[in-house]
Amino acid sequence: MAVYRRGYQRYQSPLTGSGSRLMVLPKFAWQTLMQQRLIVILMVVALFWPLGSIAFVYLANHLDLLPGLGQGALGFLKVDSEFFVVFMNVQGVFAIILSAFAGPSLIAPDLANGALPLYFSRPLSRLEYVLARLIVLIGILSPVTWIPGLVLFALQSGMAGSAWFTQNWKLGAGLLSGLLIWILFVSLVAMTSSAYVKWRIVAGALVLGIFFVLAGAAEMTNAVLRVEWALVFDPARAMNQIWRWMLGAEPVTGPDALPCAIAFAVMAAVLVWVLGRKLRPFEVVS
Amino acid sequence: MSSVIDLQDLRVKLGQREILRGITCRLGQAGCGRAIGLLGPNGAGKSTLIRTLLGFHWPASGSARILGLDCHTQSREVKARVGYMPENDAFLGDVTAVRFLRILGELAGLPPRTALEKAHEVLFHVGLGEARYRTLGTYSLGMKQMAKLAQAILHGPELVILDEPTNGLDPAARVRMLKLVREMKEEHGMNVVFCTHLLRDVEEVCDEVVILKDGAIVHHADLEQERRANRRFVELEVVGDDRNLAAVLREHGAEGVNESGGRWRIVLPPEVELDVIWRIAARENLEVHRLTLRRDSLEEIFLKAVGHLRSTPPPLETIKPLEEVAADGRL
Repeated sequence: MAVYRRGYQRYQSPLTGSGSRLMVLPKFAWQTLMQQRLIVILMVVALFWPLGSIAFVYLANHLDLLPGLGQGALGFLKVDSEFFVVFMNVQGVFAIILSAFAGPSLIAPDLANGALPLYFSRPLSRLEYVLARLIVLIGILSPVTWIPGLVLFALQSGMAGSAWFTQNWKLGAGLLSGLLIWILFVSLVAMTSSAYVKWRIVAGALVLGIFFVLAGAAEMTNAVLRVEWALVFDPARAMNQIWRWMLGAEPVTGPDALPCAIAFAVMAAVLVWVLGRKLRPFEVVS
Repeated sequence: MSSVIDLQDLRVKLGQREILRGITCRLGQAGCGRAIGLLGPNGAGKSTLIRTLLGFHWPASGSARILGLDCHTQSREVKARVGYMPENDAFLGDVTAVRFLRILGELAGLPPRTALEKAHEVLFHVGLGEARYRTLGTYSLGMKQMAKLAQAILHGPELVILDEPTNGLDPAARVRMLKLVREMKEEHGMNVVFCTHLLRDVEEVCDEVVILKDGAIVHHADLEQERRANRRFVELEVVGDDRNLAAVLREHGAEGVNESGGRWRIVLPPEVELDVIWRIAARENLEVHRLTLRRDSLEEIFLKAVGHLRSTPPPLETIKPLEEVAADGRL
């Protein structure tokens, strides 16, 4: 019978489980995001470097195709920890840009339209809501970060043989965990900005601002106080140092990986705290 | 039959301030659709009570149970069985009404296909069928209220909590909203908590009423019983010696309270005619300046409960029947 003729009937059949309910918000959010041309363009552009890297890996394993190259150029064509750190840094920047465009549309509209009481009056906790939003961003950022990274690693392992894999499996593990940590952090920044300012465009600008302003502030502090430790407050620099430690690459000048990791954890904790304070169904004025 | 809402010495603090001060009551009846009016002046604690029932606020002490489930330790189960229509604007940004309901339906636990079907079904039910593909931002206030109602009943909850549902509605939309609420309880067996400032709305749709003041229940009445009692009130203003009036009224089965200055409030049982008042006044040589007859109204109950009205006569049940008075030999 046509819906308009049927009349309202109470639903009295079994309800779905909490697992499938958790994926409801990501499902609809991905649909919406994939309808935005800018997001799709950014995701495509973000795959240019991985494509170039694939070509690099191929050439590095087929040096016989480049007989005219000198010894110096051949030494450059090497797939090692430095290669993967560069890859992670490039893709990490794309992750920031993507999250700046995709993140604010997730929480800011809910806060601006007062949707939180509607969500939280259903069997969905605040933690699940945050998780659902996090899943959206992880879903958007994964195809441009750790997934192509692992593809590269698998490609290199396939071409270089099992001996290379046995010697360098830590590169793959470091790549995966390092990029996962980064996209978690970037997603947290995007969600917190979105929850804090409510306006989508401003929230997007804030995401970019947090990374650039913190980098600038860290450099300025170093210059004024003639120290190096302030670099720990530059998330990108701190992450780079941590990645280098994870992949066994040569560290860059500045604080070691441990202080960077501590600073990183503190920044993440502050973001979680702000997010927790903002995501409430009702403001309570005490 | 068990109650729908069971509050036991419920205390809720927001910051340092105690908002709900030891509320104890049982509301509604599980399995049969009843509407419970939640009344009270601003700041009485109505919204806090609703939010506590929804698990948004934690009780400082005591307990709140819905359909036998604790609102806090079993919050997830409670929320699956409750529909909530918030007072303020509450939407998802830039989505059509169908998509809005579909998302919320799936979040409530409906399977995806059913959520889509129900979204269409309930939008037709609340009168938004033709506008279901419009984004909610283009809706009028009345349409938004209906959309909020739709999301509250989409998943067929056993208890629907409506916070100021007729706010900002024009008369026609208000009538429609009240009709939908009546249908919810009468045809679909849902229990409804109807929180409002509008006494007339409560009078029209509710079966029982709870009046809150300063975080405590000051009155809990079964409106059905009140209506059945068919009590009539007389507001009488007389000049003369009215010292015996209370006793004489009692002799005739009525009960009167002197509100000073010759102003009386009198309860007339159904069997006593108004004519009796005139005859008593004539017999006592009282000059009647004003006599107003009216039925017991929720307004009177409300004003009395929140302390804006001086004491009114006791309920009819406490008046002794005429025969009993005669048996006492007081006639």
